[in-house]
Amino acid sequence: MFSSPITLRQWQPALAALLLGVIGSAAAEVWPWRPFAPVNRAPVPGNVAPGGAIDAFLKEKLAESHLNYRPAAPRDALLRRVYLDLIGLAPTPEERASYLADSSPEAYAQLVERLLNDPRHAERWARHWMDIWRYSDWAGWADGKQIRDSQPHIWRWRDWIVESLAADVGYDRMVTDMLAADERAPGDVAALRATGFLVRNYKMLSREQWLQDTVKHTSLAFLGLTVGCAQCHDHKTDPLPQTEYYAMRAIFEPHQVRIDHVPGQADTTIDGLARAFDNDPAVPTYFLPHGDERAPDKDRVIAPGVPACLGGALTATPVALPPEAVAPQRRELVREAMEKAAEVLSQNSMPADKALAEQKLTTLRALFAVERLEDSGKKDTPEWIEAAQACLSAQREETRRAAQTAVTTAETAHAEALQKDAASAVEPAKKLEEARQKLATAETACAEPLTTAYVPRTLPAYPAQSSGRRLAFAQWLTRREHPLTARVAVNHLWARHFGSGLVPALADFGSAARQPSHPALLDWLAAEFMENGWSFRHLHRLICLSEAYRQSSAEVGADSAAAIDPDNRLLWHFPSRRLEAEAVRDNLFHLTGGLDLTRGGPELDQNLALTSGRRSLYFRCAAEKQSEFLQVFDGPSVVECYERKPSVMPQQALALLNSDVAIARAKAAASAISDPIDDPTLFSELFIRFLTREPTAAEIAACTEFLHQRREASADEVRTREMLILTLLNHHEFLTLR
Amino acid sequence: MNSSRSADSNRCAGVSRRSFLADTGLGFTGLALSAMLARAEQPFDPTHSVWTLPDGNPHFPPKTNSVIWIFLCGGLSHVESFDVKPALNTYTGKSIDETPFADVLKTSEKNIVGGNPAHGNRKVIMPLQTGYKSYGQSGLVVGDWFPHVGSCADDLAVVRSLWTKDNDHGAQLTWHTGRHVREGGLPTIGSWASYGLGSLNANLPEYVVLGTPTGDCCGGAWTHGAGYLGPEHAGVRLSADPAKPMPYLTAGKDGPTRDEQLADLSLLGKLNTLSGIDYPNDRDLRARLKSYELAFQMQTAIPETLQSEKETESTRALYGMDQPHCRDFARLCLTARRLVERGVRFVQIFHGGGGGGAWDAHSGIKDNHSKLAAEVDQPIAGLLKDLKQRGLFSDTTVVCGTEFGRSPGAEGNGRDHHPAGFSAWLAGAGIRGGTAHGATDEIGFHAVEHPHYITDIHATVLHLLGLDSHRLQLPDRQRLAIDHGEVIHQILAG
Repeated sequence: MFSSPITLRQWQPALAALLLGVIGSAAAEVWPWRPFAPVNRAPVPGNVAPGGAIDAFLKEKLAESHLNYRPAAPRDALLRRVYLDLIGLAPTPEERASYLADSSPEAYAQLVERLLNDPRHAERWARHWMDIWRYSDWAGWADGKQIRDSQPHIWRWRDWIVESLAADVGYDRMVTDMLAADERAPGDVAALRATGFLVRNYKMLSREQWLQDTVKHTSLAFLGLTVGCAQCHDHKTDPLPQTEYYAMRAIFEPHQVRIDHVPGQADTTIDGLARAFDNDPAVPTYFLPHGDERAPDKDRVIAPGVPACLGGALTATPVALPPEAVAPQRRELVREAMEKAAEVLSQNSMPADKALAEQKLTTLRALFAVERLEDSGKKDTPEWIEAAQACLSAQREETRRAAQTAVTTAETAHAEALQKDAASAVEPAKKLEEARQKLATAETACAEPLTTAYVPRTLPAYPAQSSGRRLAFAQWLTRREHPLTARVAVNHLWARHFGSGLVPALADFGSAARQPSHPALLDWLAAEFMENGWSFRHLHRLICLSEAYRQSSAEVGADSAAAIDPDNRLLWHFPSRRLEAEAVRDNLFHLTGGLDLTRGGPELDQNLALTSGRRSLYFRCAAEKQSEFLQVFDGPSVVECYERKPSVMPQQALALLNSDVAIARAKAAASAISDPIDDPTLFSELFIRFLTREPTAAEIAACTEFLHQRREASADEVRTREMLILTLLNHHEFLTLR
Repeated sequence: MNSSRSADSNRCAGVSRRSFLADTGLGFTGLALSAMLARAEQPFDPTHSVWTLPDGNPHFPPKTNSVIWIFLCGGLSHVESFDVKPALNTYTGKSIDETPFADVLKTSEKNIVGGNPAHGNRKVIMPLQTGYKSYGQSGLVVGDWFPHVGSCADDLAVVRSLWTKDNDHGAQLTWHTGRHVREGGLPTIGSWASYGLGSLNANLPEYVVLGTPTGDCCGGAWTHGAGYLGPEHAGVRLSADPAKPMPYLTAGKDGPTRDEQLADLSLLGKLNTLSGIDYPNDRDLRARLKSYELAFQMQTAIPETLQSEKETESTRALYGMDQPHCRDFARLCLTARRLVERGVRFVQIFHGGGGGGAWDAHSGIKDNHSKLAAEVDQPIAGLLKDLKQRGLFSDTTVVCGTEFGRSPGAEGNGRDHHPAGFSAWLAGAGIRGGTAHGATDEIGFHAVEHPHYITDIHATVLHLLGLDSHRLQLPDRQRLAIDHGEVIHQILAG
């Protein structure tokens, strides 16, 4: 643990002096290296709501500035907010009606609980974490023949994220499995999906860049530290010497990616499990002076380690791997898939190839019979000898049939050439002779006595041991005393509820970064998080039930507050913000009755995003392969996206006014309106559907005038309604979480 | 600065961009636009530093209003265009080792990040594949592939001593952001101009991209992106085809007619205004009202701007629009003029985009470069002449660059990538015409005299726009000195 000023002085006297000078106290107290300690705070007296503690911290700061919360938000405004926030979809008119009809005091808390258990909540929040963990589908060339970034089938990692959130798996377990599921649970294929976090960094063109990204982004995501800055020199502002950058790199140096088979598919280019594993536990990490990979200092091999300023140590123990991890292709599921594929091939082959295809299936079965005996330790038993001989016999027969087929083909070619002229038949004749010779050899082989020298499959050999470095790193990260892991995660979660973090730069907790607005609250939440099994759901509940969350977002009539705290850092009103791209698109489908709630599965072509009603997180998201519609609304950058920065720009207006999807959804909604309907009822229905509230008198007047004018211009009543709906799909409130 | 543009005189009178936008007509929303901002502001803690969001005013008096940034994808041979090397004819067929310039190979890796080892330095000198002559009063020497641009020599300031970091086509991105392609999408020079100054026209985007940009291999959309400055500062790609200039610009199937849209937007303006009553400080809402105004205007302003058919025959002929071999690029250049004329801040034109880039003449450089140069030569010269005849040359700066040069040594009958020394030129407002600045060695290998990393071009352009890139830098996005670059004062007009 970094607990004494001495350590810091040893690290870099100049910075230590600077920090000590500024702080004037023990360096260990310097944010954010301060050792982690749970903060005990009593909730506001008399307030028994579970969210009371959060309010106690916030109100303390507000009181210092003579500020207070705004009044509670209207029920339907809060309903819309919590739906959008927790499941990414606005409430339907029916959901609104049923909530407003429930006047019990527990109605809201029960709603929060219901939404937290809704599978759509996991999808919504999965996308948030996919931003932070840099989810990316594969990118490359030639229709997937050249994979340059990430890997195919990485959608299984996305599904793992959704499933883990749905099951409220602890963050400590999630982090561990993303970094080291292959070491924690090497035989657990469901958990192995998590290593997509590492796989995602794959870069065909540069192993160097691949490892740089891994170190840089693992640090940013989990530590909120710019360790990547120390690649070429000691960190300028944080106590991270350059050697520690390479110590962190050494944790990841042995790892590689591969694609394992999944049940039912013999071809891993079609489907498979993209996963990480240690390919070479002994590979050295050299110190690179000035970060220059062309000139490694081969006399300085850096051992794996963790930044000293964060305390603890890395104690890696090698992990012995089970056979299914070392030889994944000898798993029964692979044999079954290969047999199935050979069966299909033999059934579907042309008559001329049928004999060979059938023999291939027979050979495969014979080969697998031998393998199974070997796998159960029966090598060299009489049973095995018999099976091995049978296998060799089948292999010889397969060779013979292949040679026979080749002869037939060569004969046909030769006959065809002879029809032309003698000269062009010279080459085919030569080939025919060769084919016949091969057949003769194969036939001779078939007649030879049988041995056990069958030809085994050539399979990739993976190490029987993993270095254990990544597992040790995960254990170090998720230990209770770690000063950053819980704080960084809690801050990310808070920022996605309230629009900005308690620490403003979500991925920079370094000593030069901006200070937290409520450090004690952050620590209290982090402690609460860890004490409750690192449960995100617990934090969501605390936050959504807080008074801070339930207050109004309207700042009208609070001019003095706006003058004192214009950026609302003290949370004197609930902060409004633009919906994320995915929420804009999802609600466009959802509120017009076109959302398809099918969950999970392979990523969808990004160009289908305008016509398919699947939720936005399921569309391909890779460099240069992202939905244009989502990108216009600031969809995630796959390079890094620790924080969305929603813009408001004319391209978005054009997309919602002119795109086929906006127009089609407006039409769908218009056609669903029950006829006949009088105007005030229509306005009321549409406002409730799209904005979750009744229209005001002024809004009714504006809409009435619109209808009046449109009816003068056109007799097409359905069209007029479409235009009214299109207007509401462009409404500020439709696009805003308030 | 001398301009016929009304917006310009506004700005010169000290009127900021925001108040300028505010005065640009009241829209269908019926709101006083003076209450609006041009963009949503990011909240920022003012106590942390003295940084403030750019207000649209330059930092010091500008020398230019707009930039036209031409980029030739694939790597133009510097030794046969703007840095002609007769010594290559002298030493034809000799290995560089056997020439007096054997030393250049010893430092061939200087300042260059390793890239594709297949692109080694070609050793056997290849003679010039075209002739050359000197032009104008300045006597500037230009290769014979560019006779039209050559005829504008007295307007050009050629920088002959550029170097870049990447020896593969990722250098296309580097040219625009200053960073290696591996580092991802960072703000491009155009986005800095947009971010710092905004637009002079409320009907058009601030930063427009024409032509086919760089392929995905080499930066793709990042070459006109804005990185962390946010998508509102990214280049808006326009196809020069007036039928479909950009996504969603015109209504899809069964979409609203203009009348219907006007009715919708009129209602939307009212509803959004009502929605804002309880939210007097909602910056997004103000930006949204503004964005719908601009979106509505863009639907007519952009197609109108792209109507190059409206130009006179003689203007069209000046660009070469009457000639099939250069018609397409002529249209882009003419469109660029129409854009800057209407107040667009930064127009980026790509030539030969996609894949590694058309100019990537590993073989057959003579055929390749003579064909491609013919596509761009007259259009570019036409642009310079047209800007001049319209008085726009005094507030528009034209830059013409490429990602790297080509090797003095032969690769078959082509030339290889060459990042150690190459050329680009600038012309127009603020530029000292007829200048050749910096130099490579006698065979065009290394930038030896006044070497400039490519961001020095960025610094020079921002300087002409009245911007200091250090002052634009975001507080949590510290940039390196090499990212900012240094102004090349030697090519600036008196």
